[in-house]
Amino acid sequence: MNKNIGVYVCECGPNIPERIDVDKVVQEMSSMDEVKTVKKFNLMCSNDGKKFLKEEIEKQKLSHVVVAACSPKDHEKTFMSVCQESGLNPYLFQLVNIREQCAWMIPDKEEATSKAVKYIRAGIHRVLYHNPLKKKEIEINTDVLVIGGGLSGIEAALSLAGPKRKVHIIEKTDSLGGMAADLSQVLPHQGSKMDLIKKKVEQLESSEFVNINTFSQVKEVRGFLGNFEAVINTHSGNGGVEEKEIKIGAVIVATGFNLFDLKKNPIYGYGEADNVLNATEFEDMINSEKILLKSGKKPKSVALVHCAGRKEQGYCSKVCCLYNLKFAHYLRDHHPDIEVKELVIDWCLPHKQDQSYFEEAKDKGVDFIRMDELLKTKSTGDQIQIEFKTNDKSHSVSVDMAVVAPAMVPSEDTTKLADILNIPLDKSGFFKELHEMLDPVSTPMEGIYLTGCALGPKNIHESLTQSHATSGKIFSTLVPGRKIEPEVKVSEIKEDLCTGCQTCLSVCFYGAITTDSFKGVSVVNEAICRGCGNCVGSCPSGAIRSKHFTYPQLYQEVLDALR
Amino acid sequence: MEQQNVLVIGAGVAGMEASLILAEAGLNVHLVEKESLIGGQTIKFEEVYPNMECATCMIAPQQQDVLQNDRINVSLLSKVQSVEGSAGNFKVQVKKKARYVSLINCIGCGACYEPCPVSLGNAFEERMSQKKAIAVACPGALPNAPAIDPEACLRLNGKKKDCSACQEACGFDAIDFSQKDETVELNVGAIIVATGFDQFDVSTLPQYGYGKHPNVYTAMEFERLYAQNGPTEGELTLRQDKPIKSVGIIHCVGRKQEGYCSGVCCMYSMKFAYFIKDKVPDADIHEFHTDLCIPGKSHQKFYNELKDKGVHFCRFEDIKVSGQNGNLQVRSTNSDGKEKSTDTDMVILSPALTPPPDAEILAKSLGIPQDSTGFFSTQNQKLNPIDSEKEGIYVIGCAEGPKDISESVSQAEAAAGRVLSFLQ
Repeated sequence: MNKNIGVYVCECGPNIPERIDVDKVVQEMSSMDEVKTVKKFNLMCSNDGKKFLKEEIEKQKLSHVVVAACSPKDHEKTFMSVCQESGLNPYLFQLVNIREQCAWMIPDKEEATSKAVKYIRAGIHRVLYHNPLKKKEIEINTDVLVIGGGLSGIEAALSLAGPKRKVHIIEKTDSLGGMAADLSQVLPHQGSKMDLIKKKVEQLESSEFVNINTFSQVKEVRGFLGNFEAVINTHSGNGGVEEKEIKIGAVIVATGFNLFDLKKNPIYGYGEADNVLNATEFEDMINSEKILLKSGKKPKSVALVHCAGRKEQGYCSKVCCLYNLKFAHYLRDHHPDIEVKELVIDWCLPHKQDQSYFEEAKDKGVDFIRMDELLKTKSTGDQIQIEFKTNDKSHSVSVDMAVVAPAMVPSEDTTKLADILNIPLDKSGFFKELHEMLDPVSTPMEGIYLTGCALGPKNIHESLTQSHATSGKIFSTLVPGRKIEPEVKVSEIKEDLCTGCQTCLSVCFYGAITTDSFKGVSVVNEAICRGCGNCVGSCPSGAIRSKHFTYPQLYQEVLDALR
Repeated sequence: MEQQNVLVIGAGVAGMEASLILAEAGLNVHLVEKESLIGGQTIKFEEVYPNMECATCMIAPQQQDVLQNDRINVSLLSKVQSVEGSAGNFKVQVKKKARYVSLINCIGCGACYEPCPVSLGNAFEERMSQKKAIAVACPGALPNAPAIDPEACLRLNGKKKDCSACQEACGFDAIDFSQKDETVELNVGAIIVATGFDQFDVSTLPQYGYGKHPNVYTAMEFERLYAQNGPTEGELTLRQDKPIKSVGIIHCVGRKQEGYCSGVCCMYSMKFAYFIKDKVPDADIHEFHTDLCIPGKSHQKFYNELKDKGVHFCRFEDIKVSGQNGNLQVRSTNSDGKEKSTDTDMVILSPALTPPPDAEILAKSLGIPQDSTGFFSTQNQKLNPIDSEKEGIYVIGCAEGPKDISESVSQAEAAAGRVLSFLQ
């Protein structure tokens, strides 16, 4: 290929010439053999500057372009699109940052000029090794698979299903509704009407755009954003398993939570002492409207014990304080003769209306007792004695019944599902989001999203919000009629050099690399690879290269920069 | 929805995220921001919990994406004045103040600041440093272009009508005194309210000694003190130029008065302890807390880590700050009524998050109610946590109530989901 490199030095108004001798730079570059033309321009990013660059590329029939200007963060995209408009592949371009890295850094003009010369020379030698990379377009499927038929899954499915998007929802039990369907009432400011949840289930069941699979589980998921294939196993009544395959564009994981097993720690007295209940058992009592001891008598006093499993699990489950308050309210409202003692470590009431709910419970005569640490729960004849420590002193209370609030823990299939979907778990065993702050419902696998308690303990309100968040993500990524353009600066593997050691598989954060077991080599899925370069650095035999960061490109660049 | 346009009010982390998702889906977004820069409160933080990531580095790509997106029309120094119509067809009047600096011509070189003869307290830096009448809020502000404060500028306030110091210094013809405030009318199908929060005024509670003792700081003041791009470039020095040896961080300031727990203060207060331990490893740090509200799945680990580093956690029922000769004393009383006194060089107050001061005006313009706390209310009872009482208007982030970045971003994505689901 005939190489005609055009080099353009932007002055950025007074910013660059104040510290760099631009004419000297132009002169130095002109003497290079590979360079066809070198010019300076006052402000390359202006409309006049872009027009000038376009005319130059066309008139001079340039094969490669180097612009020495500002940070690539500012204008790399600007100049790449000028190349594209002028018919030059935008990857045959290199931006050299002589403003932030030279002019604004070095007070001495001579020194700054010499550094700029080195950097531009490095850019010229690098661009010679650039390859014209081409964007690809991939057709997409806009349908969605929702794993888990609890409230989070239902909400996501309702939001997404429509004439242009079918939703498959799979639920391992016999019915939709999840944990929320069993609650006696939803928390006060989160809606008290259980029929709202029932209505959502009915709405889903009657939708022509939703395909509901109960008694079902995911066996396998393969593919990438816009093009996933999933194998679903459905258990039929006679013990048989029916297998089917579906094609979808995205997956939502809404597999919910389990409760901490109170038997794991004897201090809670659960399973040992009679009349020690966990929170779900107490919910059932409320549902049946019978608050009774094992003996069939009504308790005179009930203790509500917070934070069971918090220490063991290593996190606060957030919702327990509020539902304990719900229990307290219920008891004071419906059974005013029962004395209520609430044993609290820290009140976790972070919603704007939680505090007033707490104040109301206080006004209703609930006895709130602060404990720093629970020590023991034991049976003493007819009563239960709870021992605890506060301000380094031991205390105890005796009650007829104790309700213990267990922590929320990952649901039992979490690890297996993480394996099937190739997505990571966090230190607590829940699914791990792509970024805890800025990308709370995405995973490293593009097209696989998370919602609700599958991500960690949260209330109904927050779970619903996350479900809408996953739908927002899917609506904006998988638009009917649109194609997706995967990253072009991806990794590629030279099969003859690959020894099949699979080191690259272990460092790929996005699950883009698989093994071709027949050939015994690693294979990059270009639709999934995001070009981070982890595999390139880790490959012991040098078989992997990154398409826009090849060894010759980097070697030439570094050589000149250091020369 | 007749109009495929959406109005987003507030360009903080929530407003930006909602705008980006809607734009990606192909909708046009009008993003209205009252300040001269985008990024909201998050850009004031040096690092964010629990992973101690640099907030500016985390947010900058998002800010760039917003500013460079053809489908997002950003109006700075702008406020919504009136809203008429209903879901699918809202008519919105936006008042846009003049910046007096052309965003097209300005390249952000900063040559205009130096010659400006007027200095004033920089509100972005909690007035701990001075800025000129023409200035950017802080280094790294985006868009990287200053704005002129018309009340401070001698030419614009009429005190020296021929001053053109900045204009003469500008090499790009970017200063434009002929710009006028204008009112723009927008037609949009849906509105997303992301107006953020303010902070409880700690000077209203004399027991904390704020304003009386110079080394009692608010949380936001400390955030800026610690920030690399802040008034001390990240150096932790006290107002009386003393080195820091001991610090008391007081939680829950204003919780009782406001009537709610803000949910984020425990974590950011612990973040401060982490900062200080990082810079002054042998500093003696006391966290004075009531309830520790640390509900995230990784937050308790952060707390355990700090305890291991020797940070003292001290639960109080009542607290008072006093001082003498520049030394501070924190007197805390526990639930048994036992009093403890702790000497410190510095006290940091962590105040409640409150609704922004103009929330009431905006609520009236939008025709949506506020709840008893002053934040905008949503249809929680109907299990629609981000829908306001008016169809087509959604409330996200701290405009709905105190919350952290993660929850704000979830709500932003959810609002986009609601709008796009409605449109499909």
